[in-house]
Amino acid sequence: MLTAEEKTSVTALFGKVKVDEVGGEALGRLLVVYPWTQRFFEHFGDLSTADAVMGNPQVKAHGKKVLESFSDGLKHLDDLKGAFAKLSELHCDKLHVDPENFRLLGNVLVVVLARRFGGEFTPELQASFQKVVTGVANALAHRYH
Amino acid sequence: MLSVQERAHIAQVWDLIAGQEALFGAELLRRLFTVYPSTKVYFRHLGDHPDEVQLLNHGQRMLQAVGVAVQYMDNLRAVLSPLADLHAQVLRVDPTNFPLVIQCFQVVLASHLQGEFTVEMQAAWDKFLTGIAVVLTEKYR
Repeated sequence: MLTAEEKTSVTALFGKVKVDEVGGEALGRLLVVYPWTQRFFEHFGDLSTADAVMGNPQVKAHGKKVLESFSDGLKHLDDLKGAFAKLSELHCDKLHVDPENFRLLGNVLVVVLARRFGGEFTPELQASFQKVVTGVANALAHRYH
Repeated sequence: MLSVQERAHIAQVWDLIAGQEALFGAELLRRLFTVYPSTKVYFRHLGDHPDEVQLLNHGQRMLQAVGVAVQYMDNLRAVLSPLADLHAQVLRVDPTNFPLVIQCFQVVLASHLQGEFTVEMQAAWDKFLTGIAVVLTEKYR
């Protein structure tokens, strides 16, 4: 999926990511840009405005959790399906999340990285990261039945 | 369809990139071709390895069209009608490619505007660009 060079550059950039902030920002932006995704988070309290969403402590906490999991996945780029097998079952059997949402969140995460890293987020880095988020999304969808 | 606030966010972002259509357009195409290489099939007239001049020229044309859409965002169907005809009759770009362009567009905006690229701007532009894509593919069948 990724060349050795791509793995190095992805890991290097991600090493500079503030996981607790970026996760919350990505999840928040997902919920604002694609408001129908809020259907899974009705128990999160106030999501009524963009400010409410971005400032919501539950969104931030959950975003951090999601990105920590994504970080772990980066250590298993050669076996994402194996790495995310349990989470895939959880999202299918307990959470009932349409896998399309994983693709949407992956794309939002890429935009958040672009925002934080600016010109450093080259087309080549974007290409590598898009491959990673696609791989993670597919891995999370893999155990659906 | 677009609220007053959304229109303001769309115009605000455009103000930040107006005058640099060629630069932004070239980067959009560079990202599109690098991240989603299959999209190159629609740009064969630029050759196998488009150079900077070609990307700037074609990128400028695309972004100028977006600028027109910004100016007439209340009446996209009318103002984009010739482009809709072009896409339906000549270009026939498969509709699944438009979200790929939109993703690259968001990355271009985010990487250039950075701290100024608010979530409201991202949301408004996603909605706006999706609306443009709908109009451009509306006459396909």
